[in-house]
Amino acid sequence: MAKVPVQLRINQEDYQVFVEPRKLLSDVIREDVGLTGTHVGCEHGECGACTILWDARPARSCLLFAVQAEGHEITTIEAVSHDGQLSPLQQAFHEEHGLQCGFCTPGIIMTFESYLKDHPNPSEAEIRDVLSGNLCRCTGYQNIVCAIKKAASMITTGLQKG
Amino acid sequence: MKPASFTYHRPRELDEALSLLDNYSDDAKVIAGGQSLVPMMNMRLVRPAHLVDINEIGGLSYIRKTADKLQIGALTRQAHLEQSPVLKEFCPIISDAIHRVGHLAIRQRGTIGGSIAHADPAAEMPTIAALFNANLTITSTEGTRIVPACDFFITIHTTNLLPNELLTEVAIPLVNPNDGWSYQEFARRSRDFAIVSAATILSLNEVGKVSNILMALGGAKSIPINVSASLKGFIGEVPDEAWMSAIVRTVTTGLSLHSDLHATAEDRLVWLQLLVKKTLQESLQGAKMGER
Amino acid sequence: MTVQTIKTKPTERAYQVLGERMPRKEDFRLLTGSARFMDDIEIPRALHACFVRSPHAHARIESINTENALAVPGVVAVVTGKDLAQWTTPFRMAPQIAGLLPMEMTALPIDKVRFDGDPVACVVAVDRYVAEDAAELVEVMYKVLPAVTDMFKAIEDGAALVDDALPTNLVSSQRYAHGNVSSRFAKADVIVEATFSQHRQTHVPMETRGCAAVWDEGRQFLTLYNGTQVPHPMRTSLAARLGLKETQVNVICPDIGGAFGQKIVLYREELTIAALAKTLKRPVRWREDRRENLLSALMAREDFVKTRAAVRKDGQILALQAELFSDFGAYSFFPANYMISVVAMLLPGPYKIQDYAFDVKVALTNKCPAGPFRAPMSITSWVTEGTMDAIARELGMDPVDVRRMNMLRSEDLPYETATNERYEDVTPYETLERAVQQFDYQKRREEQATGRLQGHYRGIGICSVLESTTYGSEFYRKAGIKGTGHEAAWVRVEPTGVINASCGIMNSGQGYETTIAQAIAEGLGCKPEDVAVHLGDTMLAPYGMGSRGSRGAVAGAGTSYLAARKARDKVLAIAAHLLGVASAENLNVENGNIMRLSGDTWVQTDLTLYDISQTAYLNPLLLPPGMEPGIEIHTAYDPPAMTYSNATHLCEVEVDIETGVINIGRYVIVEDAGTMLNPQIVEGQIHGGVALGIGGVLLEAVVYDENGQNLTRSFMDYLLPTAREVPNIEVVHLDTPNKTTPVGLKGMSEGGVMGAIGVVCNAVSDALSPFGIVIEEQPLSPGKIKSLLRSRGVN
Repeated sequence: MAKVPVQLRINQEDYQVFVEPRKLLSDVIREDVGLTGTHVGCEHGECGACTILWDARPARSCLLFAVQAEGHEITTIEAVSHDGQLSPLQQAFHEEHGLQCGFCTPGIIMTFESYLKDHPNPSEAEIRDVLSGNLCRCTGYQNIVCAIKKAASMITTGLQKG
Repeated sequence: MKPASFTYHRPRELDEALSLLDNYSDDAKVIAGGQSLVPMMNMRLVRPAHLVDINEIGGLSYIRKTADKLQIGALTRQAHLEQSPVLKEFCPIISDAIHRVGHLAIRQRGTIGGSIAHADPAAEMPTIAALFNANLTITSTEGTRIVPACDFFITIHTTNLLPNELLTEVAIPLVNPNDGWSYQEFARRSRDFAIVSAATILSLNEVGKVSNILMALGGAKSIPINVSASLKGFIGEVPDEAWMSAIVRTVTTGLSLHSDLHATAEDRLVWLQLLVKKTLQESLQGAKMGER
Repeated sequence: MTVQTIKTKPTERAYQVLGERMPRKEDFRLLTGSARFMDDIEIPRALHACFVRSPHAHARIESINTENALAVPGVVAVVTGKDLAQWTTPFRMAPQIAGLLPMEMTALPIDKVRFDGDPVACVVAVDRYVAEDAAELVEVMYKVLPAVTDMFKAIEDGAALVDDALPTNLVSSQRYAHGNVSSRFAKADVIVEATFSQHRQTHVPMETRGCAAVWDEGRQFLTLYNGTQVPHPMRTSLAARLGLKETQVNVICPDIGGAFGQKIVLYREELTIAALAKTLKRPVRWREDRRENLLSALMAREDFVKTRAAVRKDGQILALQAELFSDFGAYSFFPANYMISVVAMLLPGPYKIQDYAFDVKVALTNKCPAGPFRAPMSITSWVTEGTMDAIARELGMDPVDVRRMNMLRSEDLPYETATNERYEDVTPYETLERAVQQFDYQKRREEQATGRLQGHYRGIGICSVLESTTYGSEFYRKAGIKGTGHEAAWVRVEPTGVINASCGIMNSGQGYETTIAQAIAEGLGCKPEDVAVHLGDTMLAPYGMGSRGSRGAVAGAGTSYLAARKARDKVLAIAAHLLGVASAENLNVENGNIMRLSGDTWVQTDLTLYDISQTAYLNPLLLPPGMEPGIEIHTAYDPPAMTYSNATHLCEVEVDIETGVINIGRYVIVEDAGTMLNPQIVEGQIHGGVALGIGGVLLEAVVYDENGQNLTRSFMDYLLPTAREVPNIEVVHLDTPNKTTPVGLKGMSEGGVMGAIGVVCNAVSDALSPFGIVIEEQPLSPGKIKSLLRSRGVN
């Protein structure tokens, strides 16, 4: 199928790409837009490495075609930190050694940046439940859970200080 | 694993979508949430020449309560259902079942219609549809027809839908707040595709005897099955241990379960029996006596 | 957080920087999505490759028709084994080891395919989508042959031959004996037999394999971008196979998304991509997809061990015999005896067993080849500790007491083992006792007994781990395997007093940029923030053996530390000269400042590293007479043959006998990895290793059917543990330094895997012991548990 123009809005910026309809959103974000922070781990929706936000909600970019994205807001890992300042979640990962090879990390960060907004005080069981949608082969998850708990508390305290 | 080529269509109106399906028929596939379809396309197990994206069609995502039922638009996202206060109040077994579907990101895209049309015999939404024998509204350029769930599922991944038809609404009866209910599933890891599942709703009368019982089993056959009819003889009884054991025997006898990579038929039977028992126990705990 | 990490040996602050829980330098780019993994590297005009793979486990290739594939618009080339044979030399694996048969392979198979997923052709096109379209159109005519899928059947007479150049599928067979095994067996009060069967698994790094090759026709120079654990050996192999000089090849490793042993050898795919780039004179890149990774990358762990222990009635082991068997798959990318021989070597464990004999066999089968997978000796601790438990059951003893009876204690060290290994500075006994205490073992046993009366089947697992790490050159010499274990590093103090450094190892998540910086800061006396570690570029890094066998600490950080010490010596010699003192004896570097001993206290001088360095580079006439300008040190270090670390794992499981589901409860590890560079990183390695082990025991399994078809080629079927399947782990650190390595370092990142496998299997055996069930086979799926219970009449 011939290539078609597709308008994308990613991290509040507009892009126009020219791609086949079958090209996956994950590939378009990475290759055509050049945002390589979103990683591809399986292309069948199981590992979560490709998780981005679609209209502020987590979605697997390997299960979306870029053509579907017109009219929607996509947020990727590149938008989480600002001017080199890590978000509380990213900072907590850094302090708690919540990453090793880092390949699965953007997908986890995107999932929890969104989740913590709606659930500011999750229990460990709730964290592990949501985290079970992201596979990590390096950390054994323990420090990731610590990091998310720490971030939740940092965010809540930050809001209280307001 | 990259999908094969297709022509992409993005209808804005239902009529447009239906015309496309008329036109392209067997060569077309509808994409809603895509959480089941796109993996298959990426693995090239499915290669539609035409992909009809119905995500932008308005008016297909809603939860409406009437006097006796909930009408749910087929395009309603599972995450929306999970959080719906209307559902929690009037049909909590769906809220509970939906919470078990996949992962957060999957539920953000997955739709109730898509899951039912995909017809995985152990999946949550098909099993719920079978439990209620939900009325499914099917629409085409020729009009609409209503098919009860038990006639809708034909075999694994195969339904009554013709190539030019779209599932547009799922109607579920309201659950009496005094009813006890339970949804249970068994999987290798939490949130994996269920190997077997069971769903039960039961009512107790004012003297604590069972006045109604609905039950569906997932993963017991190539389609989710409603076994309520076989339980007629258990109405009017006191729901004790013997009663529960008898029900377990009744609904799990004569099943020809299959064996695969993840479980043998023998194990499936054991887990199914345990789940049925558990749904009965949990339903009884939640049920309140009262007139029906 | 429910984690406990206690430093139990309060020591004086021996180190300035080592032992700091320093957050990692690597993190910023990884957290912000600005890291560069292989697939992130933009290469203009690069073509994309896709491999055509055999759907058959064993078949002759009769013909390959590429016409229709070539006709697809956007396809540039389609090559087969025959084409590649013109551009590459074959690979020969033929170490001079008695009982090991050689193997030779071409870049891609030419005559026949040997496993489901074996690559037979490569399509190169403008993008991967088009390449996959064309790959479907490559017509390969196969003549299907019978497949061997069982290692025992593979060595029976009449079995189909996997490698036609060999007379048998028994690719490796050795025997060994030490001491007087038969006479010790004659004296035994009881002989205890136990069987251990582990299933095939695969590494599953979250980042699949991949590479990009760029050929510079003008310079006749090849650059390979490849996430490899061993950049220099990769470069050497690649140059040799392509008929290039080593001066014509550079390997550049970007960030690697996990490796675990799957990214060591030069695979056929990388070689094909490199050859294509050179032939087409255009950059070519390849990204393995997950299906390929699960099907045809590398596999591991399919081992079978049977032990016989000659035991005295008080629990002392008089002698041990072992039969070991391993399923190597279809090709020898590694010496076939290698992994299972390490198991055989380590089997007597941390116990006093001098009379030991083993028989080890390896079979070729029509499966994806095997290679080392984080803890290739993973079965060892389960076997050794499972044997201890078997002895305990036979004699009616507490399993901890059996271990106490036989375990090495500090007074027994250094200990020369029955397999000529040297155990020194290890503390298996101390970790066992500490773990038993930490776990509240006696109380748990009581609760277990009470629980059984109530129909709760809990089990306590014990697993002592003795982990072989680092592998110095002496190891290879003793084993007769071609290879060396030295490592190299350079440290350069730049004119502005900051430090650039490099080493031959390569990161794939271990935090080497941080730990090596810490080691250098410790050695030199500078601030770790001022050290930048650059790894993975074979032009930049010194020639080293790379990362495998937990080499990071001793080989990587150790060599870097030594280089830093030499740099420090030079710095202080310059400082002494500038300060006008006779010797550097009373001078030190601390936090980048030159310090002088005044009486009993160290006082800061006016000099800093910056000043010293400015002099060395920009004012060399002020240097001591005869001293070369600059401060750049290159060092190589050969570690001991083997550096051992140890740990004891204790855990409790509960088995639901109705469903067969196993739940892991409390999990305690007392570990001794010597001097810790960074405890946070040590703990992270332990958590990750344990998760890997748990995944293997409970969930992961590569399944081949009787025709050799791989049934587990997606994440729906090959199940990895998620955050809900891995428990929290309590870690207690002891830190007994190794007396011969730099700053007492030891390796440690594979012991977690060994311990987890052993402890969970042993715990489940313990839980099911009321039914007379002993775990002899993994994985422990609910179905497996149910089947074991049924076999004992429990329905």
